[in-house]
Amino acid sequence: MTRIIFEQTGGVMGRRVSLSLNLDDLPQADSKSLKKLLDEADVFSLADSPASDSARDVIHYLIRIEADDGIHTLRTSDTSMPDRLRPLVQELSRLARLQQRKT
Amino acid sequence: MHAHHSVLCITPPHMLEQIVRNGSPEQRDFAQQTLTASTELRRKRITVIATLRTAVPTEIITGKQRTIYDAQYGSQLPGVKIRGEGDPATSDSAVNEAYDGSGFTYDLFFNIYGRNSIDNHGLKLNSTVHYQKGYDNAFWDGQQMVYGDGDEDLSPEQQLFNRFTKSLDVIGHELTHGVTQYEANLDYFRQPGALNESMSDVFGSLVRQYQRQQTADQADWIIGADLFTANVNGVGIRSMKAPGTAYDDPVLGKDPQPAHMKDYVNTIEDNGGVHINSGIPNHAFYVVAREIGGYAWEKAGLIWYKTLTDKLTTTSAFIDAANLTYQTAGEIFGTGSLEQQAVQTGWAEVGITIGGPPPSNEGCFTSVMRALGLS
Repeated sequence: MTRIIFEQTGGVMGRRVSLSLNLDDLPQADSKSLKKLLDEADVFSLADSPASDSARDVIHYLIRIEADDGIHTLRTSDTSMPDRLRPLVQELSRLARLQQRKT
Repeated sequence: MHAHHSVLCITPPHMLEQIVRNGSPEQRDFAQQTLTASTELRRKRITVIATLRTAVPTEIITGKQRTIYDAQYGSQLPGVKIRGEGDPATSDSAVNEAYDGSGFTYDLFFNIYGRNSIDNHGLKLNSTVHYQKGYDNAFWDGQQMVYGDGDEDLSPEQQLFNRFTKSLDVIGHELTHGVTQYEANLDYFRQPGALNESMSDVFGSLVRQYQRQQTADQADWIIGADLFTANVNGVGIRSMKAPGTAYDDPVLGKDPQPAHMKDYVNTIEDNGGVHINSGIPNHAFYVVAREIGGYAWEKAGLIWYKTLTDKLTTTSAFIDAANLTYQTAGEIFGTGSLEQQAVQTGWAEVGITIGGPPPSNEGCFTSVMRALGLS
């Protein structure tokens, strides 16, 4: 079982958008695609990377992965995010925005 | 929508650390956010702002120096150069809007307040457009402006946001963050952070009014009037005239901004509500401009500009801004002048009395931070 909790806050609007999903509940293709992004990001090896002191209106992200082999929570931002994490964050952001429009 | 974490805001750090270790996932997240905020403030006290001010160039450049880059839907900054100063317009609307918008902003600060760019030393105005895919935001990264294209990655019926260069006041807003960085450098947390955001809204709105040559009565005082698609029930992201009324939408929710200290929102989200409580000083400025009348950039804008550049400090709170704008109005227009009275009226209308005590509902978090010597 792998559960992903994603939250983005801030930006020029100061808005909060969040998402919670279980990979086992997704269609196989979507689950496989997200699993690949998770593997490529290697989230468990990443530490928090807060935004620089002088950045304003950037979006802050919280990613929490709850898997069979452990739990890891990561905080980052637009300006401080490691490059290998960006594809995962971009996809989670898209899914979060889509879910927001459906609820 | 905005939680009031009254337990956490009176909890000392050692207890927060205990919650981080042993609490539920939600409790751990809230406790960690509070601790991170505290650590951040502590660190800022130590590092101060020296690094920003050592960046003053040795050569002073005069005139606009705009360059627009294209991130090509990636995140590498600044990206590929598309248009430099004096180059003709391109076929890309986002590029042209970023170019023109940074020019209008430069013009307001230079023509009205005599300021030569963001740092007053002719800092180059670099902007990047087409940042990432589906990026519904704009930001100042400490050196340049960055703009996303909104929800272009979603189907038309799901799109809420247009490209962020469409709103001139948003361009002015981001550029003003740069001005604030080189001047008062208001902390980006709680009341100083809300003042930081408000300054960006004030001068962002003034850029738009100046470009349109509108008086205070003619202006709509909306921030981001061009950002929403037709799918959103709203007129913009904030209203300085009537904070809390800019949007009320099934997806986005309701505009959370207060217009009065009695409705101040105590929260740990959004850096302590910097985009929420900015409604209070925003509305104070609107009232001052309305009371004075005419073009808002001429008198109300001048009072705010001189206060930002000469008087406010990193830790200034709303009461400090009120007292210092009042003092500035007296220095420029005379003690007891109509302009100084207008400043008093503006702050009174949002529940802040010139020369009075700090408003009582600024939040328990601030009290704790003060007790810890962090505010």
